[in-house]
Amino acid sequence: MHPEIRILGLGTHLPGPVVSNEELARRLDTDADSLRRETGIEGRHFAPSGEGPSDLAAAAAKRALDEADTCVDDLGLMIFATTTPDVAFPGSACFLQEKLGAKTIGALDIRAQSAGFIAGLDLSAGFCGETQADGSADSRYRRVLLAAGEVFANGLDFSAEGRELAGRLADGAAVAIVGPGNHGPRLLGSRWYTDGTLLESFWTEVARSSNVAGRVTREDIEEGRHFPRADLPGLRAVATERMALVAREVAELAGFTCSDAARVLIDYIEPDIAEAVAADLGVASAKLIVPTAKFGNIMTAGLAIALADVLPELAAGDKVLLVAAGPGFTWGGAALEVG
Amino acid sequence: MAARNHILGVATCLPDNIVTNDDLSECMDTSHEWIEQRTGICERRHIAEDCGGTDLGKVAAEKALEDAGLTIEDIDLLIYATLSPDLEWPATACLMAAKLGAPPMPALDVRNQCSGFVYALATADTWLKSGRGKHVLIVGGEIHSTGLDLTTRGREVSVIFGDAAAAVVVGPSPDGEKGILSTHLHADGKFAEKLWMEVPSSRRSPNVMVEDFEGEDPSGYPRMAGRYVFKHAVTRFPEVIRESLAANGYGVEDLDLLVPHQANLRINQFVGAELKLDEARVVNNMQKYGNTTAASIPLALREALDDGRAKEGGLFCLAAFGAGFTWAAALVRW
Repeated sequence: MHPEIRILGLGTHLPGPVVSNEELARRLDTDADSLRRETGIEGRHFAPSGEGPSDLAAAAAKRALDEADTCVDDLGLMIFATTTPDVAFPGSACFLQEKLGAKTIGALDIRAQSAGFIAGLDLSAGFCGETQADGSADSRYRRVLLAAGEVFANGLDFSAEGRELAGRLADGAAVAIVGPGNHGPRLLGSRWYTDGTLLESFWTEVARSSNVAGRVTREDIEEGRHFPRADLPGLRAVATERMALVAREVAELAGFTCSDAARVLIDYIEPDIAEAVAADLGVASAKLIVPTAKFGNIMTAGLAIALADVLPELAAGDKVLLVAAGPGFTWGGAALEVG
Repeated sequence: MAARNHILGVATCLPDNIVTNDDLSECMDTSHEWIEQRTGICERRHIAEDCGGTDLGKVAAEKALEDAGLTIEDIDLLIYATLSPDLEWPATACLMAAKLGAPPMPALDVRNQCSGFVYALATADTWLKSGRGKHVLIVGGEIHSTGLDLTTRGREVSVIFGDAAAAVVVGPSPDGEKGILSTHLHADGKFAEKLWMEVPSSRRSPNVMVEDFEGEDPSGYPRMAGRYVFKHAVTRFPEVIRESLAANGYGVEDLDLLVPHQANLRINQFVGAELKLDEARVVNNMQKYGNTTAASIPLALREALDDGRAKEGGLFCLAAFGAGFTWAAALVRW
């Protein structure tokens, strides 16, 4: 039923040099050791003013296309998953389309936060299975370009009030070329969920359309409502529980157990939560990768960037589990088989 | 070939507050004649007190579910299409899910502006055909009025848009003939800045400021190069409508009803003339509601179903063009 699709090529881009804990600590009026201890993050990248997610994705796209042995003209659809679009509208896929010089293919923009890459794979599987209306088996969307990227840097609150997130959110992008083929990690299954009752535990309220006084008021800016805010302590239990649940669900769907996976990638804004989930799943620490610990939380793109890093270490037949949770509250998982 | 999906329920929700062209001419230098002549729009709805697209969306979604004989528990995926989100992030779909009392389910926003509804429909149709579920709820919700520059400075754009929500339920077709025949998605990002709203902008530091809403050409409000939009719309609309028909072995003569995006009556009249469709075969209701972007097509479809123009067995084309530029069509056997 589910059409067989693979990640045929995967490219990534982290902008500029690493912003070290020493450097960020100075901006956040703390010290590097405290920042490292509090966040569990080794370093991160921040895009310079003038660069949006579509710029980062454009830099990631070439490697993805080369690895997939395809070119922009062969694409059937572009999907862009981001939490921090280049502009309010249109979506980042349109900007990426222009930067890549793509034909007038569809440019779908989606918002699914930390599950963005998993949701994008899920939707890509649907599009890749779409046959011609005359019933012939050819896919109308043989190659889907799935981009995931964030630029949080230009919207962070570096004051004491925003430190919790300014020390954790980070920038980067990944581009996957998805479609049927013989080479590349095969998607065995994916599941992702949202529980909107926890929405205000991790969000950026403004700009908002629901206020007759205006989407962005002077008071909003003064109160910092345009900055990301979170109750991370309040989310720890639910994040742990939901990620473990969905990890087991997709592994079972794919016919293996979590401890059998060659690598388990768990992306959560607090790396120690990812470690707790891994322990609960019986995943050995040598097999666990926590993207946020390596380069901060890049919401939609963290899993894909870390996946690109780890693929060269893996062999055909190895199983990989991707798990993430974040704002929404949204969580998801995907199972892949290296091929 | 995978079983066909159909639109099983359609419903809408509009704010009560009607804003006429004369009302607008009290806060900006314009007139009923100027607006009507260029756009065909006579009135639109603006929320009168704090209200999100999801508040209207809740009413529309519950009616659409009822229309389909389903409840929120039957839904496997929730798609919220908008260009005016209730909040910056996460997706407004998360808030929509909470307001509907949805159990944990996949929920995402589709951000494709005026083409958002057709993009969402294509996403729902292909996802269902891949075997991932049985029913998808799509809500198109827009509160434009709070983001418009309702002064003379913003009149070219601000007179066009209205607030509304509409919802459809997509699921298995009750019979093999009826349903969504195919969907067709396009975009050309070269024109992304011909109809756009820049702020909040992640590519700029700071990403939003009070000053973005001041000055001669404020980047915090939607901006439009009207002539570009018109020129591309009247080319791309007929193109994608013909594409959807040809893909299914049909011609324009087989089309019973065109349900286009409701941006501008003059665009839709031009498209109708280009395709040699008489007026009765083109649904227009922007005269009453303005451009409600992601809500416009289901809002027009519901009206055509209620007034009897959309008949069972008919061949309908749902087509859109707008910011991005994006354009799209879905061909449906009703």
